[in-house]
Order: sequence, then C-alpha cells, then structure tokens
Amino acid sequence: MSQGKTLIEIKNLEKHFGKLQVLKGISIDVHQGDVLAVIGPSGSGKSTFIRCINQLETPTAGQVIFEELDLTAKKVDLDKMRQKIGMVFQNFNLFNNMTVIDNITAGPIKVLGVAKEEAEKQAMELLARVGLSDKAKEYPIKLSGGQKQRVAIVRCLAMKPDIMLFDEPTSALDPEMVREVLDVIRDLAHEGMTMIVVTHEMGFAREAASRVVFMDDGVIMEENEPHEFFANPKNPRLKDFLSKVL
Amino acid sequence: MSGFFSFARLIQVFERYHNFFFDGLKTTLYISFFAVLMGTLLGLLFAFGKMSRLKVIKGICSVYIDIVRATPLLVQVMIIYYGTLSLGWKLQPTELNAFFWGMIAVGMNSGAYMSEVIRGGIGAVDAGQMEAARSIGMSKGKAMRYVVLPQAVRNILPAVANEFVTVIKETSVLGMCGIHEIMFRSGDVASIGYVYVETYVIAACMYFILVFPVSKLVGQLERSMNKSVTR
Ligand SMILES: Nc1ncnc2c1ncn2[C@@H]1O[C@H](COP(=O)(O)OP(=O)(O)OP(=O)(O)O)[C@@H](O)[C@H]1O
Ligand SMILES: [Mg+2]
Repeated sequence: MSQGKTLIEIKNLEKHFGKLQVLKGISIDVHQGDVLAVIGPSGSGKSTFIRCINQLETPTAGQVIFEELDLTAKKVDLDKMRQKIGMVFQNFNLFNNMTVIDNITAGPIKVLGVAKEEAEKQAMELLARVGLSDKAKEYPIKLSGGQKQRVAIVRCLAMKPDIMLFDEPTSALDPEMVREVLDVIRDLAHEGMTMIVVTHEMGFAREAASRVVFMDDGVIMEENEPHEFFANPKNPRLKDFLSKVL
Repeated sequence: MSGFFSFARLIQVFERYHNFFFDGLKTTLYISFFAVLMGTLLGLLFAFGKMSRLKVIKGICSVYIDIVRATPLLVQVMIIYYGTLSLGWKLQPTELNAFFWGMIAVGMNSGAYMSEVIRGGIGAVDAGQMEAARSIGMSKGKAMRYVVLPQAVRNILPAVANEFVTVIKETSVLGMCGIHEIMFRSGDVASIGYVYVETYVIAACMYFILVFPVSKLVGQLERSMNKSVTR
C-alpha cells in the first residue's frame, strides 16, 4: 500500500530494563507518508518502542535505520538525527521556563542557527495554523492541556522534521480537548507528514492511519491497513483487546 | 559593676569601641562574600562532578562532599590554616594570610553543601524537560543551559540564600585562627574593657544586621516562587 521510499527500517529491536525484557524483537518498515497507528494494552511496550526510535531509550539489540543511517551505531550524531525526528509526549513537556513563542523558536534558533526574526515569523505562522496566535507570549502554565499539546506539536513542526512520533498525545487531556488535538494531527496526516502515533483513540486509528499495528507483550502481534485490521482481526489477543476497547 | 546586663554599659562600650565592631563587621562581610562566591562555583563543579558518568570523578566528588559534611567547619579551618603554614604557603602580612586561608576553608566547606543544593535543584526538574530538549536535537549541554538549569535556579534560589545565611554565621569560628572578624574583635573589646555580656550582645547585633536582610530576601523569594510561572 505504501509507495513512498523507506524512511525507517526497524530490525529485531529489543529492549531490556535490567532483567525485564520489554521489547522482544520488533521489525517494521515505515515509508514516506505512512501514518502508523500503534495500539495495544498498557505495559505492552508501546512507549518504549517509540522512544527507542529516536534513541531516548537505548535499545539493547537490533537496529533502527533512519534515512539509511543506523541510529544504534556508536558513531552516529544523534543530536543531528533527532532534528529530523519530531516527538510529541503524553505530558506535553513544554519548556516551563519559556513563553510559547520561545518554546517554538528554541530549536530553530539554538539548534539550527536560524535568525531570531525569521524563527519568530515562522513560529507565528505555525501558531496561526493551530489557532493559538494570541497565546504567543504566555507561559505554558497558563494554557489548557489541549493548547499545550498543540504548541508541542508546533514546536516539533518548527524543526521541519521528516517524521513525527506521538506517544499517546491525547491521553492526558480532558475529553473535550481530545478533538482539537486530533484534528491537528489529522491535518498533518493529510498533508503527507510521516508519523507513528501510539494511541488509544480507535476512531482516529481507523480514519487517519494508513496502517495499524497491534503490540502486545513486546512484539507486534498484528499489522494491517485499518479497514481490514478492525473488520477482520486475526490474532485472538487482538480480538480480545478490540472487544474491550470498541 | 552590677547586674547581668545594663543598656547604659552597652552604649558606653559601643561608643568607645565601635571601630572594633565595624572593623569586624567589614571583615565578616568580605570573607562571607568571597566564601559564598567560591562555594557557589565549587558547588556547581561538584554537582556536575557527582552527576558525571566517569566513575573516578563521581567518586572523588562524593567522598569530598561526604567528608566535608561530616566534619566540623572549625576542624577544617584549622587543618587548612596550619596545613598551609607548615607547607610554607604564607601570604604577607599575617592578617591577610589568615583571611585568605580562612576564606578558602569556608568556601570549600560551603561548596560541599552548595553542590547538594544544586544537585537537588537539577534533580527536581521533571525529566521530561530534558527529554523534550534532546528530542528536538539539543545536545545535553544545550538542554542543560537553556532548559534545565534556568528551572533549577528558580527552584534552589531560596536554599542558596539560606546557605548564604549559614555561611555568614559560621564565619564566627574564624576568630580562632586569627581572622579579625566580628567574634575576634569582640574578644578584643571584652578583654580590654572587662565587659562581656554587653560586648557580645553588640556582636549579636552585628550578625543580625548582616543576616536579617538576607533571610528577609529568602522569604520574599519563596513567596514570589509560589506565583511564578513554573509548577
Ligand atoms: N525506565 C524504565 N525502567 C524500568 N522499567 C520500565 C521503564 N520504562 C518502562 N518500563 C517497563 O516496561 C514495560 C513497558 O512499558 P511501556 O511504558 O513501554 O508500556 P506502554 O505500552 O507504553 O504502556 P501504557 O499504555 O501504559 O503507556 C512496563 O512493564 C514498564 O514498567
Ligand atoms: Mg506508554
């Protein structure tokens, strides 16, 4: 189904925390333009998986090949690679010591070396896209959860990433704010942004994803395009899981 | 002489010997200032040392911090003062020598305490802040500088100010190695005039003048912290 070139190749990814093996050999390719939804029960290793991609967690075995570079190799310049891999966290993690606009321009200015005026101009355009122009000078503490998450997404976009990772971007939100955030992510998907989204929002996975992956117990149990995935689940664990969440 | 305390006598002592007291006050102020400055710099150094990935550096810093915190300041001062004397590391005149090594001793002592304050402040910043900074491609150094440390500084300002207060008060042991600070000068006055209680009440006032504004500032900081932008 995916026609784009391969952006990320994950090969036999394993992660141990001490004696506990959380990822037990995960292999999957992500192509340009893919929207990969990852679902699965709590504790199945979804967060660990997504954090191993940008090496916030160091995998204990296997490879993550991003744009032909193995991120698990010793010599690789991770700071440079991470500029191209955006990440949106469940708890937003906006920089508390910076205003909204400074949150967004921090990356472009301090990492990419973009001039301040240019970075701010771009940040204001991005803020306008998510309807938060009037919040530019506010500190994160003054924002609602939904607003924080939209700023966090914009902070990623300001780096012009090639792929974005979302770890349950709406799980910490009050129900009425889930939609405003999912709408932004959906728009990005339509514009062709490649992304991996760990989510509990089955509706979102069904409509916005190009592929859905079911993780359980540290392995990928099933992978399919969304219609088949939800209409004809094959793995019994997935059937069980879907019967509980749908 | 009669009575445990006489205000008139206090005034008398102060009028006659105020030069001694203000001289001591000045010395205490200078030595505290430089010791605190040195303590802060050493504190940063030891804090990062103790968080280092290199086991040797981490070990050295831990041992240093543990030893300093488990022994009295006066003992440390004596070891450094007489230690440098016997090594022949002596500045002229003698008074400056005592001042210098006393300052070093208090600074080194304060550095150990300060490093724990700083480390605590950094530790109190949510790990997600560092992760978010790294995830947009900041190096560890940049993430520290732009994201973590500014938040840590906010957290620890009250504790740092408290450490300043402690240092000012603890310099009172430095008279024991001949530094002409408040207690030393008060000793002079007491032995010339044979007036003890009133003399040391004046000494207490001298410390109060130095410390009270700082501790007021601490309270103010703590209050402004509570309505600050960080959680
Ligand atoms: N830093 C860590 N140290 C030790 N164990 C960890 C660590 N991070 C995660 N784990 C463990 O790894 C397992 C998988 O955790 P992970 O957060 O990846 O699950 P998840 O699928 O994201 O769950 P959830 O849906 O609750 O977010 C859990 O048992 C968890 O306790
Ligand atoms: Mg998770």
